[in-house]
Amino acid sequence: MISQVLLPDNVKIGKKMKNKEYLEKEAEATLNCLDGTEKALPGPYLFTRVKAALDREEKNFWAKALTFMSRPSIAFGTIVIAVFINAFIFFEFRNESSPSGPEGEQQFANDYNLADNTIYDSTIEPE
Amino acid sequence: MDEQILIEKLKQGDEAAFKQIVETWQNMVYNTSIGILQNAQDAEDVAQEVFVQVFESIKTFKAESKFSTWLYRITVSKSLDHLRRKKRKKRFAYMQSLFNAGNQTIIEVPDFNHPGVTLDNKERAAVLFRAINLLPENQKVAFTLHKLEGLSYQEISDVMKTSVSSVESLMHRAKNNLKKSLVGHYENNE
Repeated sequence: MISQVLLPDNVKIGKKMKNKEYLEKEAEATLNCLDGTEKALPGPYLFTRVKAALDREEKNFWAKALTFMSRPSIAFGTIVIAVFINAFIFFEFRNESSPSGPEGEQQFANDYNLADNTIYDSTIEPE
Repeated sequence: MDEQILIEKLKQGDEAAFKQIVETWQNMVYNTSIGILQNAQDAEDVAQEVFVQVFESIKTFKAESKFSTWLYRITVSKSLDHLRRKKRKKRFAYMQSLFNAGNQTIIEVPDFNHPGVTLDNKERAAVLFRAINLLPENQKVAFTLHKLEGLSYQEISDVMKTSVSSVESLMHRAKNNLKKSLVGHYENNE
């Protein structure tokens, strides 16, 4: 009598256990299905493709450099920097005038080595 | 030809040495990238990018690690970059489809069939690859290198620049996550 009452629950639990076991077995089998898999092979012309890619890259270098240089931001930036450097040099050295008068002449002579250093230029005092 | 000599010759720009290097390691590079990307065309593109990178940066290879380890590193990083770019594009296309509702439809990506899987395992492998796709990047890389390339945990740790215990933990978590999603899959398809 007691066993008859308990039987349906036991069957349910048993089925569930069996089902869980079955699912885990399936999962385990799938997890190991790659064991012994052969290696995948690439197409026959991989080296030719690599070589072509290398050649393309070499040609592309100069094209890329030119494209980079001709970008509006880069070109405009370069012009701005050049104008700025020119302006800086102009304003920096405008006020630096060279000394004039005899002082200036002396400095000029010194700078260009125009001092009287030959025998003909020097005055020899008679004894 | 000896690996060391080949590398030295490649450093001097020898094309024959480069050809031999490509032919020797192309299967390894392609097989790794197809495992991560799960797309044959993308894997070919990445394999090409990997060898271009090898040619351009061979001078930086100091032989502190094995050449194959260096190559695996480049392959993994290029594959992950490719995957990220693809995901970004997908997200952008999804956003666009929201704004242009009705004009565009998002194309569902079909299940991936690895060419090396035997016929009787094809269905299971497709389910597994779908689950692998849901793993975080580092778990995916560790699992793929172990299962498809047959690398040991030590070799994986060299490629990923991490400790063996970290790889063990990554693999443990990857297997647990995969089991959960596989059980979920079979439960829903009962």
